Amino acid sequence: MRQYFEKMDDLGKPLKPAQVERMKENRAQIEAVMQSIDAEVDRVKKAGIPAEKIRERGQMTVWDRIEYLVDPGTFCPLHTLYNPMDNEEGMTGVIDGLARISGKWCVLIGFDNKVMAGAWIGGQADNNLRVTDMAKILNLPLVWIVNCSGVKLPEQEKVYANRRGNGTTFFRHAELEQIGVPILAGIYGTNPAGGGYQGISPTILLAHKDANIAVGGGGIVSGMSPKGGFDEAGAEQIIDSTRHFKEVPPGSVGIHHDYTGFFRQVFETEKGVLDGLKAYMAEMPAYNPRFFRVAPPAEPKYPPAEISSIVAFNQKGGYDFDSVLARLVDNSEHLEFRTGFGPEVYTGLVKVDGYLLGAIGNRQGLFPNYPEYTNEYTAIGGKLYRQGLIKMNEFVTQCDRDRIPIIWFQDTSGIDVGDTAEKAELLGLGQSLIYSIEATKVPMALVVLRKGTAAAHYVMGGPTANNHNAFTLGTATTEIYVMHGETAAVASFSRRLVKEKESGRPLTPIIDKMNELAREYNEKSRPFYCAKTGFVDEVVRFEAIRNYLVAFANAVYQNPRSICPQHHMMLPRLIRSQIVKGLERPPKQE
Amino acid sequence: MSVEVLAPMPGKILDVLVKVGDQVGEDDELVILEAMKMENPVYSTADGVVKEIRVKKDDTVDADQVLVVLD
Repeated sequence: MRQYFEKMDDLGKPLKPAQVERMKENRAQIEAVMQSIDAEVDRVKKAGIPAEKIRERGQMTVWDRIEYLVDPGTFCPLHTLYNPMDNEEGMTGVIDGLARISGKWCVLIGFDNKVMAGAWIGGQADNNLRVTDMAKILNLPLVWIVNCSGVKLPEQEKVYANRRGNGTTFFRHAELEQIGVPILAGIYGTNPAGGGYQGISPTILLAHKDANIAVGGGGIVSGMSPKGGFDEAGAEQIIDSTRHFKEVPPGSVGIHHDYTGFFRQVFETEKGVLDGLKAYMAEMPAYNPRFFRVAPPAEPKYPPAEISSIVAFNQKGGYDFDSVLARLVDNSEHLEFRTGFGPEVYTGLVKVDGYLLGAIGNRQGLFPNYPEYTNEYTAIGGKLYRQGLIKMNEFVTQCDRDRIPIIWFQDTSGIDVGDTAEKAELLGLGQSLIYSIEATKVPMALVVLRKGTAAAHYVMGGPTANNHNAFTLGTATTEIYVMHGETAAVASFSRRLVKEKESGRPLTPIIDKMNELAREYNEKSRPFYCAKTGFVDEVVRFEAIRNYLVAFANAVYQNPRSICPQHHMMLPRLIRSQIVKGLERPPKQE
Repeated sequence: MSVEVLAPMPGKILDVLVKVGDQVGEDDELVILEAMKMENPVYSTADGVVKEIRVKKDDTVDADQVLVVLD
């Protein structure tokens, strides 16, 4: 299949000097947003007690552990700013992302031992579920750095119970194991109760010599019989018990290595535990990349950093999506599926690190003489019309047939509306795309390049595709909302305006409310808000998107559950047959 | 031979990015046209020199109206 993959068609255009000059302010606006994101990330890294205090105790912080554990330059952090319950720490108490360890890709998550010794805090449960979902979708090992003091007791109502509470993680671990996804745990420190289950629920447990895991910690064991209140005698008893358990915490390595054997290995040093994880990771099942690569890896012909000179910070600004994609894929090459049909949407095959991926994205700009179902108006980029929806349905289905994972790029203002659009079946075709996605077995990821709006945010591989979307990236230009704030203000207050006008009352109070709603929409759709609430899993610089795509491509092809031989793929042939009619029949022999 | 660059749809000229005498290449941005609430670059359809600019900022234009003439 070399003729299809080794040299694909050229994609995108070089930047013109005039464009670079014209986009100077654009780049500055993008950088300003990213600097504010960097400041928030820095705040998260400094959450809890200072790193120096941890190191003075002879321990490593979670960040030190990740740095030592992961192959240099491969960590792609996710959920760094995720903080849906507005914890004062600005995070959920865990650090996670895609990472390569000993040459094998995994989903990595570790408790931040600077934050209340790795306590369960608000939002952590959902963070953990996102991470276990990712391991399941990508069929990747899950690696835990366990250092968990259990429930933050003053806020137990936020973390302990509920359908998607912290305990749900342990059921997910069991689910992963039952579908063949291994979970490794490197265990440090005191891990009582919830921390104990964080320790026991993985597949392979490697412990530091001072680690312990237990059903309950010393604090619980010394006060398990409520007497209806506290008095001096009771306090003395608590002091005695606490002193005892401080010296000999329950579930130490003496119990769980020497007696129960739960701990496979115990290590003298902190780094020793990480070396143990590295050794297990080196033995994880993984295909050699040559098994699935369709061409040698290559960098994009145009630098990814140039995307800041293409994507308009001004949400109304048009740009060339193909030139964005060109800066993210190997050698800036592609095979476009159904060129010209549904022109508002790009669908095509691209290579990332030598692996084949499907790419789908909204094109921007003007599309005269389209959509085909009306002459009342003309198509505008970012919106979805009939042909575009049909094309995405076809492409997703074909990608599944050929087992090609998909990267989505959203910059969409929604699906065309009105009775003309209804007659064109757009409501049905949107849901059909959801059906097509759900019918596939291929992993997907999403980059919200700019707008994620209305149902289009769902149907274009959005995070709502729980069984397929491994992660969603945001950028400095990301905005996610059901509709633009001004549109929402009109929808909410138009009738009221008419009423006030007919009653002869002043319009100013309503206008103020409309402006307030539009302002609120703007605040609650910006990149930081999207990251904090989990609308996206990380906000990254444009030039970093490529790293995540490389991680995604390597992850999905490391150990896929289902395979299509390259020579049995139909998509490249379907694409080529759009241009090439096929082989001529040989002339009849005389 | 002259080449006329046309408005792809009705709209308002937000900016003219070139001046008479400029050398432009195919796909260079010539004007920014606001249409359907979006600001869209209109690209040169050929290499050439800007001979004539028939619109100015804030002009309203019809579909297929000539915006720029290239030589």
